[in-house]
Parts: sequence; structure tokens; C-alpha cells
Amino acid sequence: METVKRFFARARCFFEYFGSLSLLFLRTIGQMFVPPFKWRPLIQQMDTVGVNSSPIVFLTSFFAGVVLALQMAYTLKKMSAEIYIASLVSLSMCRELGPVFTALVVAARVGASITAEVGTMKVTEQIDALETLATNPVKYLVVPRFLALLVMLPLLTVYADAVGIIGGFIVSVYNLNIPVFLYIKKTFDVLAYKDVFTGLIKAMSFAAVISLVACHEGMNTRGGAEGVGRATTRSVVFSCMLIFAANAFLTALFYFIK
Amino acid sequence: MSMLEVREVHKTLGGRPVLRGVNLRVEKGETLVIIGRSGCGKSVLLKHLIGLLRPDSGAIIVDGQDVAQVRGHDLGALRLKFGMLFQGAALFDSLNVFENVGFALLEHSRLDIVQIRERVSRALQSVDLENIQQMYPADLSGGMRKRVGLARAICNNPQIILYDEPTTGLDPIMSDMINDLIIRMHRQLGVTSIVVTHDMKSAYKVGTRIVMLYEGKIIAEGTPQEIEQTADPVVRQFITGAAQGPITANRNIE
Repeated sequence: METVKRFFARARCFFEYFGSLSLLFLRTIGQMFVPPFKWRPLIQQMDTVGVNSSPIVFLTSFFAGVVLALQMAYTLKKMSAEIYIASLVSLSMCRELGPVFTALVVAARVGASITAEVGTMKVTEQIDALETLATNPVKYLVVPRFLALLVMLPLLTVYADAVGIIGGFIVSVYNLNIPVFLYIKKTFDVLAYKDVFTGLIKAMSFAAVISLVACHEGMNTRGGAEGVGRATTRSVVFSCMLIFAANAFLTALFYFIK
Repeated sequence: MSMLEVREVHKTLGGRPVLRGVNLRVEKGETLVIIGRSGCGKSVLLKHLIGLLRPDSGAIIVDGQDVAQVRGHDLGALRLKFGMLFQGAALFDSLNVFENVGFALLEHSRLDIVQIRERVSRALQSVDLENIQQMYPADLSGGMRKRVGLARAICNNPQIILYDEPTTGLDPIMSDMINDLIIRMHRQLGVTSIVVTHDMKSAYKVGTRIVMLYEGKIIAEGTPQEIEQTADPVVRQFITGAAQGPITANRNIE
């Protein structure tokens, strides 16, 4: 009986959380169209979430490309099919690893920072102060972060795709002695617009997940500095879980939509 | 007609009834001080007045409008009639002093930047601060932060200023300076002020009327002199700061 009660309590929490997140999404969309429209906060956020994330995205995707090429070489060598490394690296990077790795890195770096900043504003009554100054916190805090991530995460993903492919290229050409032109040809032979496009759709969905979860956790922070720490951890964990879930859902969707 | 009226407001937070039928009238131009123990609901009541919290039941009437019923743009317009000084000043960390003080004007007015700069300078001068417009909140002392918070509260020319524990966390000299500023704001701007505090020295100095909140209700009301001479044992224990008395006896029974 106790187990059933606990199960229903957990299920209720789960649905409450998603309800609250969906409500924040709708309020964000609504506030996007309410004047005044200010570009400065958006540009600032794009710089913070996008430009400043590029070094860490570079490292992550470069090493992902290197490891991917080496692991594939291990198997493909046995079948003397090393030339397919180029195709596999480019497809894997554009369809899966580029969007997912970039989103995870951004969730950890940017999502955590958004939650910590908004959470600190919440516990120090800065969000209340915004409201007393007749400013909607969703418009002022959530909308610029949501839009900045929606624009910058797909751009970072394209960048990650390219860097990952270059990582695979360096290993394949200098270590596995695959001819340069053949590698480049095989990379672009298999890549279709759809492969890059589906990766970008995923990136946009992940951007929405990261920004909404981070802002939601921040705006619901309670309990001083300890609460900010808890909210930040929760934000990164929930974002990563939702990124994996959304990735599985979107991959299945794109698989069935030919 | 009173400036602000609280009618039979009830509020429960986290399963605990915090306000249990609060009734209050604030007349235009007066400085009302709300006293009470820490955690008795003073700040909760203050947040109801500006619509940051909504009552479970009851009404808060400001200029003929019920704050609890107003939504969207109208609520924004209503809030601009208020200025609020928060307990920790609640300055925006990412903005400098100029952007903090001129926030409402930068966001909501059609004034040009020169006019806004002038208004911000005037507000800062009113709280005895100058040449700090480019500084950030992290660079300011506690007293300066409170004064910048007060400058932000008055910059938009509000009709009512709410002060949440204005002297908490300050040294006695800075506390007295803040008290003087509250009196000066009241005299110079002719605004209605509502001060929430448990600092009796401050309450006697700034208040034209004092009410005491106890167990979710207003239990005493009067001029500073009347409150100082009250025979009510609960109020007496609070204003004298005695450890023994009906307040602590009730708590022990709980």
C-alpha cells in the first residue's frame, strides 16, 4: 500500500513538473511578442551562451571525432573497409554526436550558469524587485535566454559537426593513411541535407529544453545558497535526462518520417 | 478616502496560517509602521500590498482597485504607483547603479537618456550619494546598497513607498541615517510610507502611526506615544524586548 502511495506521489510530482515547465514555455512564447523588443539583452546572451561556449564545444567534438575514427578503424580494419570511416564519422557527427554532445556541454556550462544566476536573483529578492518595477520576469529573464539558445545551439552544433569531422579526418589521414581527397569525397558522398537538418532540429529542441529547465529551476529556487546549489544540480541532471529522452524520441520520429 | 485598505486578508503558506484576517487602513501622507516578531508575517503582508503575493481571501484596495484582482498591464501600472525598498536592497547584480536606479524609467518611460540621467542623479542626491553611477552593487557597502535601493524606489515618483526592514543589518549610525532619509522622503516628496520593522527605535522615530501584527492579526494600533505607553502585555513585552511574557509563554505552550 505504501509503495503504491509513493508511486502515485512520484507520478504526481512528475506531471506537476512537466505541467509547470509547459506553462513556462507558453508564457515565454507569449511574452516574446509583447513589446518593447530589446536587442541588447539578446545579443549579450548570445555572446554568453554561444561565443563563450565555442572553445569547450571545439574540444569535446574534436576528441569525439578522433575517438570515433579510432574505434571504427579498430573494427573496419578487420574487414579492410577503413575507407568507410569517413562516411561513418560524418553521419554519426551530424545526426547524433554533434547535436547531443553540444547540448550536453551547453547544459552543463550554460544551463548551470543560468540556474545559478536566476536562482541567486530569486533568493535575494531581485525577481520580486523586477515585479515591483512592473517588469515581467519571464520577459526580462527567460525570453532572451530562450531565444539566444534557440539561435546559438544550432550554430554551435554545425560548428561541432565540422570540428568532429576534422578530428576524424586528422586521425584517418595521418594515422590510418587514408588519402586526403578520398576521405573528403567519402565524407560528402553520404551526407544529405536531411542529415544536417535533422541534427539542427534536434539542436533547437535541446535548446528549448536547456533554457526552460534552467530558468524554471532558477525561478523556483528556495533556501539561500544551499538552495541555489541544489537547483543548479537539478537543472543539469534534468536537462541531460530530457536531452537523451528528446533525442530518442526525435531519432525515432525522423526514422519513421522518410 | 484612505490611500490603501486591507480588508480581512487571510493567507496560508506551507500549511501554516500566516495572516488570519488582517484589516488595515493607510491614510494619504502618513507613515505607518508595522511591528511584530520575526516570522510573524510582516513582510508577507507587505508583499500582498504590491501584488507579489495574492491573498487566499480578502481584498487589498489601492486607489479603488483590488490589487488581488488586477492582472497583466493594469497590475504593472498599479505597481508603478509604489516604490519598494527590500530588506537586502535587492539591487540587480548585473546592472550598475545608474541602470539599477533608472530601471523603471529605462524600461517603461519614454524619457530620453539625458532626462533619465537627470532623474537618476536627483534620486541619488536625495539619498546623499553622488558619483557612484558606474559602480556595481558588489562594490557598495551595506548602507550604500540600502540608499541606492531607496533611490531606485523613489526615482519613478511613487505615491506609496514600502520599506521592508530598512535598518536590518546596518550599524546604529547607518540605521539612524536611513531613518532620517525615510523622514526626509516623507516630508520632501509627501508620499505615503509603510515601514515594516522590529527595530523599535526606528519605529518610534519614523512612524506617525504604529500597528502591531501578532499571530496573523493586527492587535494594537496607535501613535508612537500611545504604543510606547500601552498597557497591553503582549505589546509591552515586544516593545520592551523582554524575554519573559505572554508572547514567549504562548510559544512555550505551542
